[in-house]
Amino acid sequence: MKRLPALFIFILWLFFGFSCTADKPSMYKKSKALMDTFVTITVVAETPEKADKAIESAFSAISRFSNLIDFFSETSEITVINNNAGIRPVKVSSQTLDLIEKAIEAAEKSHGAFDPTIGPVIQLWDFHKGIKPPDNEIRRKLPLVDYRNIIVDRNASTAFLVKKGMMIDLGGIAKGYAADLASEELRQNGISSGLVAIAGDIRAFGTKPDGMPWKIGVKNPRQTNEKDEIIARLSLTDSAVSTSGDYERYFMQDNKRYHHLLNPKTGYPENNFRSVSIITGKGVHTDSYATAVFILGPEKGMHFIEQSGIDALIIDNSGRIITTQGIKGKVQLEENN
Amino acid sequence: MKKIIKSTTLADRLLFLFLTVVSISGIFYAREALPQGNDVIIEINGKPAYSLPLDINRSVSVNGPYGVTEIEILDRKVRIREAHCPNRICVKEGWVSRGIIVCLPNRIVVIVGGGNERHRDIDAITG
Amino acid sequence: MPLQDKYRIAVLSAYALALHGFESMLPTPIPWLRLGLANIITLVALMLYGFRTAMSITLIRVIIASLFKGTFLGPSFILSLGGGIASTAAIGLAHALLKNLFGPVGLSLIGAVAHNAAQLILAYFLFIQRIEAVLIISPVILLLGTMTGLANGFISDLLIRNLLKKNEDTIHNVVQG
Repeated sequence: MKRLPALFIFILWLFFGFSCTADKPSMYKKSKALMDTFVTITVVAETPEKADKAIESAFSAISRFSNLIDFFSETSEITVINNNAGIRPVKVSSQTLDLIEKAIEAAEKSHGAFDPTIGPVIQLWDFHKGIKPPDNEIRRKLPLVDYRNIIVDRNASTAFLVKKGMMIDLGGIAKGYAADLASEELRQNGISSGLVAIAGDIRAFGTKPDGMPWKIGVKNPRQTNEKDEIIARLSLTDSAVSTSGDYERYFMQDNKRYHHLLNPKTGYPENNFRSVSIITGKGVHTDSYATAVFILGPEKGMHFIEQSGIDALIIDNSGRIITTQGIKGKVQLEENN
Repeated sequence: MKKIIKSTTLADRLLFLFLTVVSISGIFYAREALPQGNDVIIEINGKPAYSLPLDINRSVSVNGPYGVTEIEILDRKVRIREAHCPNRICVKEGWVSRGIIVCLPNRIVVIVGGGNERHRDIDAITG
Repeated sequence: MPLQDKYRIAVLSAYALALHGFESMLPTPIPWLRLGLANIITLVALMLYGFRTAMSITLIRVIIASLFKGTFLGPSFILSLGGGIASTAAIGLAHALLKNLFGPVGLSLIGAVAHNAAQLILAYFLFIQRIEAVLIISPVILLLGTMTGLANGFISDLLIRNLLKKNEDTIHNVVQG
């Protein structure tokens, strides 16, 4: 009986000893409303303080960046460029210039399927109220849409829109770019594993504390209830993923679905797929390529994917899921679909 | 006393050893298996009643068979601050940052979990 | 039922109730830690006087204690009743089937495990309905139950020894009858 208290203390020590294993990397997650959406950052860190500091500094990097390129802000550099379309080149920050160049690159690569100057046509559509603009209006604005009329002068650090009335809108590439920026900021704060999700644009680096890859759900484009929100899950380590879908902003008219993914050549939506998810190293690419592949359609889109060496998960109009070879082992389809 | 310890059978000792090992490893395993959540889910009578972000400080009052129970979220931790059940075990548990607080008499379960039931293992959603 | 049995059940139930009441007055340093002192009486009764006596004492103790505390038919009463019946049944079964394998300490441990398991299962079905909540607290409860079960087993062993020593004749009588 004498030994019993000692045993009891030993067991208590085991019990509490296990509960105090400090400095073990854990996941920390925080959300903030930025870029007109929710930004959620998850990091693996040893202490909550370190995690918090890194996440906050990534948030402010996103916030600073979004102030430069916000299409709807009166004072953003993009607005200044748009207001001076056909008038004069505008001197902008290197970050804005870099993103404009990346957008032009994506447009060139996709032969204009992704075009950052789609703004004037997009403005005609009101997906919220479900208003389809008259055909002649679209035809009238269409000549303003052409990425080749953006003139970037690297040396002078200026951007210029050749035609009056042109508009540059980086909304189709900025979130992916911001996810890259935030990841870089996290790394500089000593974080080696993290996940930045800006709405559906996600950049992952490193692994979870248990060494497992990050699990990314792909939204079901035809969600009917709470349970079938996810159609597939992707296991990602050092890559980004973005999705373009016909379900994000749309209205139905005469049994036809009118959504926000407009073909820059026609000014009308392309009903090629239900959704396109692109997986590759950087968010700036996934964001713009997802839109490009969606507009390009099954044949040209697949060709684009092969040529660019990127991976994709595509849900076609019959609900079939198509994946590229490169992610075959990383996709897990949900059972209820 | 020595006599009594000696009088225990081999089966007695083995059973004690077995239970101790199983429960301690169970405690260790349960701690490891606890999901690291960001949401505080409050269930009343087995049904989810609240889902609150863990990083926003606030208090919630919940009515139960034993009156009002106060649940408090502060600095990514949650506790049951006040309850009027007989044993007040839930209050004694203090602050938790992961896992579960159960107040049986009031039928309140406070879970630090990851939001959506089905997709708890998903870190983000694209689309 | 002979008068002697009724008398014995009454006295032992009173002991169990007293221990039960005494225990509920003690402050508990660790949540979920219940000493379960009343189980000593159950165990002693079972080993000396048989299963029926032990079960009667358990039922009387649980019901009367809940009436005193005003929790009769409430959630804690259901847990208490389920735990009491399960542990008494498990001890009875182990004692009858594996008579020579387990001594009082082993039986006490079996009773404690059965008590905890029954309460966790009841809690799951009646109140919590969240399997991970049960899974997370069950090893803690099991560990605490093992510790208190061990202590109660030793006390029971001691008690049985003393009782047997004091009233050897009477006990023999009873066992035969």
